[in-house]
Amino acid sequence: MDTSNPAVFVNGELLHMHVGRRVRAVIQVIQSDNVGVTGKSTDGLQVVVKGILPSFALTNFVEVIGISDGDRSIRAEMWNNFGNTFDTDNYNQLCKLANGEFKHLFI
Amino acid sequence: MFSSSQFDANNAFSGGGFMPSQQSQPADYQSSSSARSRDLQGLVPVTVKMISEASHSGDDKSNFMINGLEVNNVTLVGLVFEKEERASDVNFILDDGTGRMQCKRWASEVFDTKEMEAIKDGMYVRLVGHLKSFQGKKQLIAFSVRPLKNFDEVTCHYIECIAFHLRNSDSQVQGVSTQPQMVDSSLNTSARTGSNGYQAASLNHLASQFGVDGLKDCDQLILDYLQQPSSSERERGVHISELSQALKIPEKKITDSIASLENEGLVYSTIDEFHYKFARG
Repeated sequence: MDTSNPAVFVNGELLHMHVGRRVRAVIQVIQSDNVGVTGKSTDGLQVVVKGILPSFALTNFVEVIGISDGDRSIRAEMWNNFGNTFDTDNYNQLCKLANGEFKHLFI
Repeated sequence: MFSSSQFDANNAFSGGGFMPSQQSQPADYQSSSSARSRDLQGLVPVTVKMISEASHSGDDKSNFMINGLEVNNVTLVGLVFEKEERASDVNFILDDGTGRMQCKRWASEVFDTKEMEAIKDGMYVRLVGHLKSFQGKKQLIAFSVRPLKNFDEVTCHYIECIAFHLRNSDSQVQGVSTQPQMVDSSLNTSARTGSNGYQAASLNHLASQFGVDGLKDCDQLILDYLQQPSSSERERGVHISELSQALKIPEKKITDSIASLENEGLVYSTIDEFHYKFARG
């Protein structure tokens, strides 16, 4: 069992709190090209994702796991398609809880 | 021996034929209470982080405590990695974002093998399994590993983990130890009222942990206190004023309860009318 390298739930706002650490965020894809993916975080902010680019076609909502590169930027390590419908409000609330009162259950 | 207000036949006989009685020795009571608490807890949503902080309960190394409750069957959502198929089992790592954990699925039936064949590295799954300790390491023995189809289930799972934590951390704040309370539920009828449906088990357990205000009466608190090893080992028993201080109940009320408990033969006075011990069978 290894809990030394967790990936914290983040929205756009929370990204800067975890610079240099592993994070995971669900984004709604706005634009995807060979440079990177631009998307909207669950709190409605624009986020740029670079690093390892997805090897498959992305659905409307994707989860990206990677390293927080600072404000609104993630260096991707892994992509997961989350489908074309997703409740971003719920996810956004979860991000807040997982970084606030219930942080100890996650990291 | 039990008065009608204290005895709950449904609960007492729910444990598969063994009726946990108050007179049983501590060792019996441990095993009967763990059997019941397994029934009560059901399936618990957890994160790997919560499991990593789980402690062993009592002498029985196969049981774990999370939030002060015994937990056996758990459910997690996460990504599968390093899947390795062998003749008798399938091993893999589950990464739920809070940590990584070794899991095993025995390939005993065709159904198990078939279900595991569909699971690939990097896939999001819902896992249901049994928490075990093997060679000093925590391990999950999976009963069910299914690919996620709707990813709102990811969000939902973590919210459920938080809800489980919230429900049970409230009762911990009350500052009452868990061990004696396991026994209470068989005696405590009032705790059963008002619980129904899906949450019946957890509510019931929770209610039995919430002290004084009507949910658990004074008699039971006294019995719990007198049954604790620190009390039962003392030859003189426990003084009423100590009970009053420890349980934060007025002495008058303690005296009244003791009188009725003594009438029922559950406690007896020792060196004087202020010292009492629990009457073992």
